[in-house]
Amino acid sequence: MEKQPNPPRWADRFLGWLLPSELYEELLGDLHEQFAFQAEEFGAQKARWMYFFEVLRFCRPYFLKRRFRAQSKYSTSYTYSPTMLRNYFKIAWRNLARNKAFSFINLFGLSVGLACFMLIGLFIADELSYDKFYPNANRIYRINSEIKFGGDEMNKAISPDPFGETLKKDYPEVEQYTRIYAGSGNKFIKKGDEFINEQKIVYTDSTFFDIFSLPIVEGNPKTALDKPNTAVISRSGAIKYFGTPNAVGKSLSVNISKPSIYNIVAVYEDIPANAHFHFDVLLSMINLKDPTSPDYFQFGNFLSHSFHTYLRLKKGVDYKDFEKKLPEVFLKYSMPQAKQFLKIESKADFEKAGNKIHYSLIPMTDIHLKSNLQNELGPTGSIQYVYIFGAVAMFLLLIACVNFINLSTARSASRAKEVGIRKTMGTERSTLISQFLSESILTSFIAFGLAIILMAITLPFFNDLSGKKFVISNLFTFEYLPFVMLLPFVVGVLGGYYPAFFLSSFKPIEVLKTSIKTGFSKSNLRNTLVIFQFSISLILIIATVIVYRQLNYIQTTNVGFQKDQVLIIKGTGALGESAWAFKNEILGMAGVKSATMTDFLPTDNFSRGDNIFSKDQVMTPENSFNIQNWFVDYDYLATLGIELKAGRNFSKAFGSDSTAIIINEVFAKKLGYKDPVGKQIYLNDKKSVFTIIGILKNFNFTNFHTEIGPLGFFLGKNNTTTSFKISSKNGQEIVKKVEAKWHEMAPGMPFNYSFLDENFNQMYQSEQRIGKVALAFGILTVLIACLGLFGLVTYMTEQRIKEIGVRKVLGASVPNIVALLSKDFLKLVGIAILIASPIAYYFMQKWLQDFAYRINIEWWVFASAGVLAVLIAFLTVGYQAIKAALMNPVKSLKSE
Amino acid sequence: MGRSYLGEFEELVLLTVAVLEGTAYGVTIATELKQRMNNRLISLSGVHIALYRLEEKGFVVSELGGATSERGGRRKRFFRITALGKRTLAEMRQVRNELWDAIPNPSFS
Repeated sequence: MEKQPNPPRWADRFLGWLLPSELYEELLGDLHEQFAFQAEEFGAQKARWMYFFEVLRFCRPYFLKRRFRAQSKYSTSYTYSPTMLRNYFKIAWRNLARNKAFSFINLFGLSVGLACFMLIGLFIADELSYDKFYPNANRIYRINSEIKFGGDEMNKAISPDPFGETLKKDYPEVEQYTRIYAGSGNKFIKKGDEFINEQKIVYTDSTFFDIFSLPIVEGNPKTALDKPNTAVISRSGAIKYFGTPNAVGKSLSVNISKPSIYNIVAVYEDIPANAHFHFDVLLSMINLKDPTSPDYFQFGNFLSHSFHTYLRLKKGVDYKDFEKKLPEVFLKYSMPQAKQFLKIESKADFEKAGNKIHYSLIPMTDIHLKSNLQNELGPTGSIQYVYIFGAVAMFLLLIACVNFINLSTARSASRAKEVGIRKTMGTERSTLISQFLSESILTSFIAFGLAIILMAITLPFFNDLSGKKFVISNLFTFEYLPFVMLLPFVVGVLGGYYPAFFLSSFKPIEVLKTSIKTGFSKSNLRNTLVIFQFSISLILIIATVIVYRQLNYIQTTNVGFQKDQVLIIKGTGALGESAWAFKNEILGMAGVKSATMTDFLPTDNFSRGDNIFSKDQVMTPENSFNIQNWFVDYDYLATLGIELKAGRNFSKAFGSDSTAIIINEVFAKKLGYKDPVGKQIYLNDKKSVFTIIGILKNFNFTNFHTEIGPLGFFLGKNNTTTSFKISSKNGQEIVKKVEAKWHEMAPGMPFNYSFLDENFNQMYQSEQRIGKVALAFGILTVLIACLGLFGLVTYMTEQRIKEIGVRKVLGASVPNIVALLSKDFLKLVGIAILIASPIAYYFMQKWLQDFAYRINIEWWVFASAGVLAVLIAFLTVGYQAIKAALMNPVKSLKSE
Repeated sequence: MGRSYLGEFEELVLLTVAVLEGTAYGVTIATELKQRMNNRLISLSGVHIALYRLEEKGFVVSELGGATSERGGRRKRFFRITALGKRTLAEMRQVRNELWDAIPNPSFS
């Protein structure tokens, strides 16, 4: 006989759960009968689908209502009646109040966990919200360039100036484009008699507001910036310069020598904090075309990358597909220009020597978290942070919940009698579960209240750590509130679920007749949880140690220049020709050893420039190198303490030093000469020839993340930045004197100074932050884990008090008993060390991979973290163990 | 106080129970309705809920049939219309007829 098709079994089971039991049989019968008809008529497969939808249609409130009514009518359970609910909370409160130590451990652990979780939640929500507020944000993309040339690799957030326009013209997918030109980044703007150093100023196209539609205070954004000498200003910019947001019609005087006047045509609302750029002043891009402008730029060059180009693609265009068309633009427009400049015939020629120019698109909403290229418009975040913070938040909360579970199950013995009595009196298991759950939810809600207080206290510290500006009311905004309110509930259920089931499962006859023994080693779950807690703590401890060792390595390794006691004064260019007089004045002061005037310094935020040099007169892709070319003066090496390996420094004694170059070891090696001193190299325009006069010992002129690349020093005359090597004794005093001199010589100009070592350390802010995060959370996890352990041990010793008494009477010594009590716990910590070490090793190895110069992870890091963990655990356990061991056995044994 | 309210679908189900005299249970009612209503989407759950409501209102009574080898040995619940149900249907028909008669120009179809 042919086998009858059957309706899906799980659907029936679902119905069994859903439907009132007295109706289940007849309804299922009807359903099956209908299924049999349908299977015959439409085939088994279709019938099963129809069955499925039929079952879905049974999800109606009627059945639930009916079941509920049936229950309240016939069953004797009052599990969810208001009186019972009130009773649960009353009992829960009494239990909390009775076991003050346990309640404290639970509450404290939970509130710390919750506070961290919420703080980090705020952080993550903020990080993920970047740039999403712009209308059409999901259709806006930025063009990134990947350039490989002469062995140098650059990943830039900028692209050639004609790119945007070309794309819009040639490809219908592009709806609109706009460009931003940041140039040197800052400009001096006159306000009254003084000049303000404006950092947030850029040139933009008139289409800026078409792409980034910001709310407008006044003026017409559509026509703004389409004429030369027009500017748009933000509300706070307007208030800064004019004292009022209504600045349309007013004008700004930009630059000190040869100022340009810009008329303000519109004012926009400030760009929100969660955007990847924040500009206060936008100048018309047309002014860049003016040859008399200090920022004069020759447009139309497909090989020069200087503009941030943003595209808005049409609806429905897949940017990944569109991205594949970008190489066409390179072939069609960039290659003809490249051919003039290099001796190459085709793209293959160009790529033969390992050269490459590749363009890609990045969604604007990804820029903040996933992009960290050269020439970003501001510091970007990192998706890694989001992951690290998120993981830490989850773990902290989990560890706190684990404490809760551990303590509740450990205390089971003392609650066992209560459960036994209740059950004997006729309590149902569901009622008991509700009771225990309400206990944990109550705890969780109290902890939640404490967590809010904790958050308010620690918020400044957290803001410092995360670089954000949160306030406590951020939590209670419309979008977060449901989650925030749900949180204590979820935590309460999460922490209380297992204990509730565990405790309510006791059999009354057993717990009432014999006292149940809950030996520590019996509970595998509890052991696993302790191991879990300590593993997390250990991973964080190890991470902290390694991050700090790497930071220490960065601080103490010889970078090849002396970063201490170098005072840097930016903006000396404002003095014009008298900058040299200023330099000489300062040099005459006591304690100032030497001075150099150059904008090229080996930390971030200073000039960088590169150019292509070739070994031979005729440039081919094989013999040319892209090197950093820095323009320095005679005293540069002395001021920064950079040493020469061979040859000589620039010297006034040689008149020909304007065509001299000092190269670093890396470049010397690339050139391949046995003795490079005296050899010549050629600049890309073939007219300039430079003679190598010296070789520098390698010094790290970028940072520890990148390998030292080829570098050449040229003699230059540049007065924008002046640096002084000063004696170590009275640094602050010298700064004061220099400042006084500055105000004397440059009235109204901002005095902007820093120290080289500060600038150096700033480059590793993000690493320092990771270190701080790991440290802070490491301490917190250890604290919570130890609290839990303390609770467990307290409870265990209480349980074994008679056993200890008997052992002492029979002659056990105090160390015996301490060992007996702490052995089990220390074993768990040992296992945690074994689990945590490889995990920590793996992740920290990955983290270190970001550094070109890094420490090795040594075994003793793990060993010392392990010893530390054991020590902490022993201190926690030992206190209780010794207390128990010292107790007089008469006291513990006299009553039975 | 008037009668209990009778919804459109409930009325249809009640009529079908009357039609099927003695053999009315979930599947037969649903099938009958489907045939008569031009395959309007009739779900078993809807029919059942209507039946249970009718029972609560006292328009039908039900009893479990005997177990047969069909449908996995599960019993069927048969529904029968009560006197109250019959009277209600009649009253409703009466009201409708009166309303139809009151239309001034009945041939508007």
